[in-house]
Amino acid sequence: MAKVLTRVELNGVVNDVWVEVPENEPAAWPKQAELAVLGKPLPRVDGPDKVSGRAKYTHDVNLSHMLWMKFFRSPYPHARITSLDTSRAEALPGVKRVYTYENTPDISWYANRSKLFDTTLRFVGDEVAAVVAVDEHIAADALPLIDVEYEEMPYVLDAETALSPDAPAIHEGGPQDAPGARNLQGGRPSLYTRGDVEKGFAEADFVIEHTFRSPCQVHACLETHCSVAAWQGDKLTVWDSTQAVHPVRESLAQILNIPIANIRVICLYSGGGFGSKLWINKYTVLAALAARDLGRPVKVTLDREEDALAMGNRPANVMTIRAGCKRDGTLTALTLKNIGSVGAYNAGAGVGTPLREVYRCPNVSTEESNVYINADVARPHRAPGHVQGTWGLEQVLDILAEKCGLDPLDFRLRNYSDTDQVRNLPYSTKGLREAYEKGAEKFGWRDRTARQALSRGPKKRGFGLATQIWGGAGGPPGYAVVNLYSDGTAAVFSGGQDIGSATRTSMLQVAAEELGLPADKLSIVMGDTQGTPYGFVSGGSRTTPSQAPAVRMAAAEVKGQLLELAGKQMNLPAQRLSTREGYVFDTQNPSTRKPIAEVTKELQFGFGTGDRVQNMLIGKGWRGPNPADVSVNSWGAQFAEVEVDIETGEIRVLRIVAAHEAGRLVNPLTASSQIEGGVIQGLGFALFEERVLNNASGRMVNANLHDYKIPTMKDIPEIESVLIDLPDARANSVGVKGLGEPPIIPTPGAIANAVADALGVRVFETPMTPQRVLEALEKGLVLRAQPEEGRRA
Amino acid sequence: MRNFEFVNAPTTERAIELLGPQAKLIAGGTDLLDELKEGLIAPERLVNLKANRALKYLRFSPSEGLRLGALTTLSELETDRTVREHYPMLAAAVRVIASPQIRNMATVGGNLCQRPRCWYYRNDALHCTRKGGPICYAVSGENQYHAILGGHLCFIVHPSDLAPALMAYDARISYAGPGGRKTLPLGEFFVGPAVNITRENLLQPNEVVEEISLPTPAAGTRGVYLKVRDRNTWDFATLSVAAVLEMDGATCRRARIVLGAVAPVPWPAPDADKVLTGARITPEVARRAADAALRGARPMSHNAHKVPLAKNLVRRAILKAAGVSP
Repeated sequence: MAKVLTRVELNGVVNDVWVEVPENEPAAWPKQAELAVLGKPLPRVDGPDKVSGRAKYTHDVNLSHMLWMKFFRSPYPHARITSLDTSRAEALPGVKRVYTYENTPDISWYANRSKLFDTTLRFVGDEVAAVVAVDEHIAADALPLIDVEYEEMPYVLDAETALSPDAPAIHEGGPQDAPGARNLQGGRPSLYTRGDVEKGFAEADFVIEHTFRSPCQVHACLETHCSVAAWQGDKLTVWDSTQAVHPVRESLAQILNIPIANIRVICLYSGGGFGSKLWINKYTVLAALAARDLGRPVKVTLDREEDALAMGNRPANVMTIRAGCKRDGTLTALTLKNIGSVGAYNAGAGVGTPLREVYRCPNVSTEESNVYINADVARPHRAPGHVQGTWGLEQVLDILAEKCGLDPLDFRLRNYSDTDQVRNLPYSTKGLREAYEKGAEKFGWRDRTARQALSRGPKKRGFGLATQIWGGAGGPPGYAVVNLYSDGTAAVFSGGQDIGSATRTSMLQVAAEELGLPADKLSIVMGDTQGTPYGFVSGGSRTTPSQAPAVRMAAAEVKGQLLELAGKQMNLPAQRLSTREGYVFDTQNPSTRKPIAEVTKELQFGFGTGDRVQNMLIGKGWRGPNPADVSVNSWGAQFAEVEVDIETGEIRVLRIVAAHEAGRLVNPLTASSQIEGGVIQGLGFALFEERVLNNASGRMVNANLHDYKIPTMKDIPEIESVLIDLPDARANSVGVKGLGEPPIIPTPGAIANAVADALGVRVFETPMTPQRVLEALEKGLVLRAQPEEGRRA
Repeated sequence: MRNFEFVNAPTTERAIELLGPQAKLIAGGTDLLDELKEGLIAPERLVNLKANRALKYLRFSPSEGLRLGALTTLSELETDRTVREHYPMLAAAVRVIASPQIRNMATVGGNLCQRPRCWYYRNDALHCTRKGGPICYAVSGENQYHAILGGHLCFIVHPSDLAPALMAYDARISYAGPGGRKTLPLGEFFVGPAVNITRENLLQPNEVVEEISLPTPAAGTRGVYLKVRDRNTWDFATLSVAAVLEMDGATCRRARIVLGAVAPVPWPAPDADKVLTGARITPEVARRAADAALRGARPMSHNAHKVPLAKNLVRRAILKAAGVSP
């Protein structure tokens, strides 16, 4: 079988992956194909389990004789451990063991820059020790009995300060640090250029430059991070609240030096995974080590504060965007300088993709610096970089549109790009124009001036929009198996996970469609490495576009066998037969048909004493390569209506219309649900969420869900989804693209533009709290007294 | 968490016996349990006031006014018909406290005695002045939610929504201890950091709040409670204003303006009251009263916005209470 290298993207990081080209993969359904299950509003199959409480999350896993683990974490943002004494903690009745750097295997961490337990601590929350005890409370009680002495070291908490030559160095001159580039990850910024930006700015009639500051946002998953590890002989089972059962298994095999086949990782349900659960964590490794050492299962659950201190975040960014356009609105140049704080160890803090790709612009340059600071390490956070980058870029677009006297929507349409300008490729499909049109129509964008009259006294209405781009192509590796049983029911075993996005339901629909079975004749397993073939992480909006073609291919293989069987029974050539709604039928004479469950009866037979024995049909599928000659992206546009009280600074988001295109629409119910979740999280970024670090101590002062504010039901506006169904036959055989991340991307930008529309001034920093609104109004009054900047003679 | 004993106190006398430096009162527990879990307190004994049914009452008569037992829950206060009729601003203030679930548990006495929400105070690792430590982290730190008035070595704001509303209705508080029962105006119950930097009120460790009483408002009394918060529910005030105006036509006979979340105590504004008393309420008068209320405000590095915010809110509350369009 032919093997090819194919480009696979995850959260903006591109890799080439070897993949076997499937020889018998079904062709993509035609755009107008009448499908029986796909595109239909099937309620999510895991709904009853979740609402009844039957769904078991990792937090619910309790085993007999189970021990509990708790972490002792660094109270300092930068310190060296000078002495460590665990004897008092170990003496506490019920404590089984205390793990520290002194008695734990030398396991490297953070891309070899640190260890499972390091003696240099680089952020508040860094792991110092782990206590294992007979119950959770004793483990917690033992923590203050651990005696640690530290040598405190100078620290830095923000990226701009960290870049200054006299800032404390967070990593002392390792091989990964270029000289003279203090705290700059990789020693230099990452650069991108196309065209000639100086020429572009010279050609512009209007040039503007603004700096946007977005704070660090924590994931705040409803289910905090947790694992349970149990050994049976040399076999390890780990329940982990993760987005990556298979990658966690592989990491455990490597770290513990045991065979992959000896490890089972299970996560059937997870209470939120927004990128913080994409890979193995220290606590999982330690739970496995402790469970082996102590011969009993070990459970570790992080509390809300630990989750905020040490389980990743969306990095803070300082983004300076310079933009120029002609009087008619044509963009001539765009530049971005981004300083992102990755935390104490290597991570990504780039935000430039939307600026490089969304709008047609011949002259573009970006310079992005990932900077170490003494705070927790960034992790991908739902549409990493895109949320912040879009929030800044979309405001720049509105400012330019205003200068040109153009409607913001017309300005965007003027700069519509039909090609991927970074890769010089056409788009496979691009439903953005339709998203603009249908979204604007639903929102009443063109008639919004009439609604401006709803402004009452100090409460001003405003309207804004923003555009969304995301990869969402998915790609290999991803595998699936489908079994068809003698009673005409089928089971799907798919790699990847359902992290709450209704992936089980989507995969089941794909298999049902291909097999021609009603959805209630199928069951599905995902999220168990022993029960399913391999799938990569469920993140980056990759699960559906990666796994759906594999599931379809497996189902198609089973269907082929079924039709062979039916052909013999019906005395017709198999090629003439197909399936639909539970029947095998003759395509040339559809009234000749036979229930699938009748066909499969032949698989069942008596055996000897009357035991029932059955054969079954089994099909295997995998994800083939991505197309090399097109760029696959998902698209969207959101429209926001807000009311801002100019005397109190309070913002109420009244309405969001979210129009999104992610290829074939698999299920309008689950797609709308995904969009609503994204909009709500985007609203949190725009209005509420910010990690606050205290300069005098390096501590996060709002590591709880009261002070770290996420939206409540009373903050959530009416959200109207506009689902653009545009099957992408080039993307994959199911025509789907990812919708997990797209809906969070444009929300903050649309809200920011609506707020600016209401106020007449802009808030250049999120979250847009009453404080920042009032400050911007104050500043706006000062600025208005000055001549307009940016206008060229 | 340290082990503690949990003892029912069916009477105030029993509660006083059980109390002491190592004991804490618990009623609704909505604040106390947080303090326990956050490691801010580690008492040896919790004295359960809820065992004392005698402190759970809400009575109104035109001659005596309103009497609230300390164990009255915020939900009971919010939904009571006489409260809604005679003290509508009080019901309005309670309605924007926390969340319905918390209001079902939280008590009137507990709300008045709750500890500050200052994020430095609430962080067990930071030894701030309110916890007897050497510095107030707000002074050089993130102080957007902190005091603009009345701070002194500590810049917490008093978190209660109930207190400004009650004070604007001239409430009195009664509490009992080994020396007997004391009754005083609620405003005098609260103390700023210059008086006691580690406590927000006069209540001693062995004293128990028993009752809040409010006189019957005079005819023509109108009240308004306004609260600004970052989030639309389950959030403490960024700023709040309780305004009670006794109106005679367009003229204000008597006024009580009390601000919340501006100072370490609920902050009465007698200078504003003076501007309003005897005045015909106009936007200009309201503006002058608002300026008077904020006289002496000293914002810190990140909370200057609270001054115009407070002025806007005071002005708005006055005009709304007087029924004057802005």
